[in-house]
Amino acid sequence: MTTLALPKRPGEILWFGLLGAGMLAGAVAVAMVLVKGHAHVYNVTREIPWGILISTYVFFVVSSTGLCLVSSLGDVWGFEKFEIIGRRGHLLAILTLVTGFGTMAMELNHPIRMGIYAIISPNFTSAIWWMGALYGLYLVLLICEFTFLMLGNRRLAFISGLLGFFAAITAHSNLGAVFGLLEARHYWYGSFMPIYFILSALVSGGALTALIVYFNHKARGRELSPKYAEFMLTMGKLQALFLGILMFFVVWKIIPGLYGQPPEKYEATMALINGPLAVNFWFFEVLIGMLIPFLILVNPKTRTVFGVMFAGMMTTIGIFFMRYDLVIAGQLVPMREDSARGAHGLLSYFPSLAEIAIVIGAIAVCLFLYTLAEKIFDLEGGHRH
Amino acid sequence: MKNKRFAIVLDTRRCIDCKACTVACKAENNVPLGRDNHRNWVTEEPLRGSYPNLGQSFTPGQCMQCGNTPCERVCPTRATGVNQDGIVTVEEKKCIGCKYCMTACPYNARYYNEEIEAVDKCTFCAHRVYSGRLPACVETCPTKVRVFGDLNDPQSEVSKLLAKNPHRVLKPEMGTKPYLFYLI
Repeated sequence: MTTLALPKRPGEILWFGLLGAGMLAGAVAVAMVLVKGHAHVYNVTREIPWGILISTYVFFVVSSTGLCLVSSLGDVWGFEKFEIIGRRGHLLAILTLVTGFGTMAMELNHPIRMGIYAIISPNFTSAIWWMGALYGLYLVLLICEFTFLMLGNRRLAFISGLLGFFAAITAHSNLGAVFGLLEARHYWYGSFMPIYFILSALVSGGALTALIVYFNHKARGRELSPKYAEFMLTMGKLQALFLGILMFFVVWKIIPGLYGQPPEKYEATMALINGPLAVNFWFFEVLIGMLIPFLILVNPKTRTVFGVMFAGMMTTIGIFFMRYDLVIAGQLVPMREDSARGAHGLLSYFPSLAEIAIVIGAIAVCLFLYTLAEKIFDLEGGHRH
Repeated sequence: MKNKRFAIVLDTRRCIDCKACTVACKAENNVPLGRDNHRNWVTEEPLRGSYPNLGQSFTPGQCMQCGNTPCERVCPTRATGVNQDGIVTVEEKKCIGCKYCMTACPYNARYYNEEIEAVDKCTFCAHRVYSGRLPACVETCPTKVRVFGDLNDPQSEVSKLLAKNPHRVLKPEMGTKPYLFYLI
């Protein structure tokens, strides 16, 4: 372990300043929630009870699963090129998961009560109960794997990594099931969600992996070694494949929502195509999140180290909107006719300032913890150059 | 209550949209003020015809006390339960406020009650029913839209009404088997 060093470069001071401002904004919002209560601070309603905090939670845990799956390619599945991101990937997977839990805790009205009654009064038919149990197990396995990677114990890292890999898939597909098992919400209902969640996690993980490799070198003012540069290019190719499959999935998510205009599913799908979520969908999800990154990554001329990072950054932004759109679209169709108040006969939701501040705070906390961890832990391991 | 299956039969043709049921329910069950806070409601159907020959129907509703309960299924801590007589309950101290039951309910019958800090909904006024009284909405309705009773008793008014009249339930396609019946 290295000693905790104070920021030395102006860029680093600015970075910590930004994160500090973000965390402060989040802390103020959290204080407001604790003092005034959810109803006065959040914009969620009776009809749309799940808002941006739930979608941000999903975004974080998708990131965690994705980072775990992509990082496992090296330690578990033997792709040597991926071993260099094992420690960083698993560390960030832990941090994104914990931040996700934190965001969820802010959305829940009784996070402490949850800890008690999930244990003494569990309901095994509830996907949320399984979500807690499986993500808890996943977190333990992630911590084990990270510890063994840090200790250089390859055998135990492999075993915990393999278990963690399956825990990640189980937990994350179950998160898809939290939505997919709601018969009342036609937009979500079905077996598509659990599968879609896993696939989109791979895209998320690939994007974040490219970002951490690039910025860890950039922030330290170091050139990428050939090994890292080669990794980035391989990651770029893999990410192009993941994005290609994701686009295929998105097309098949849309078509059944339009074909034959199935009640409620059609209205929710149209909210994305030509309704209140259209800008989010076409601009952020499709263009920024998938199409441009895909074009950057399939073209060998633009699939450079910078290109792979840039595509990763765009995809990460796109995925954030993808989560938001998914969570909100599923609730826009009113369960009772008299509830519709907005255009298109749909309900409306826009996050409150406090909700947005908590999201910014959560992102800042995650990045702060990661930056700090980079200073505390030796994340290069046996791959120092 | 053992060997009972409580239900409400509604004759919506009698409904005048006075919303006395909603007010009575709020007063009886300490429902906090606010647009989102209500245990029962009256849906105003679209206007029919053209001026001056207009008509409108109203559909009162509340928790359907379903026979197949999506809310009970999804609750992670078993805060939502079902009594032997079919009344769907929420145990306040167990509710973690995840609002999963609210997304699972196809009738939007649930809301988060900030005062009791738990999800809240119609219980057929169980506290009144178990002491031999009628639910507040049933008792207060000026045109007797609602009839409350035990479907397991063939001599009850609800059983007789359903035997005599064609009826429907809301969203039968959801498979929730609601115990609010609407006479056609």
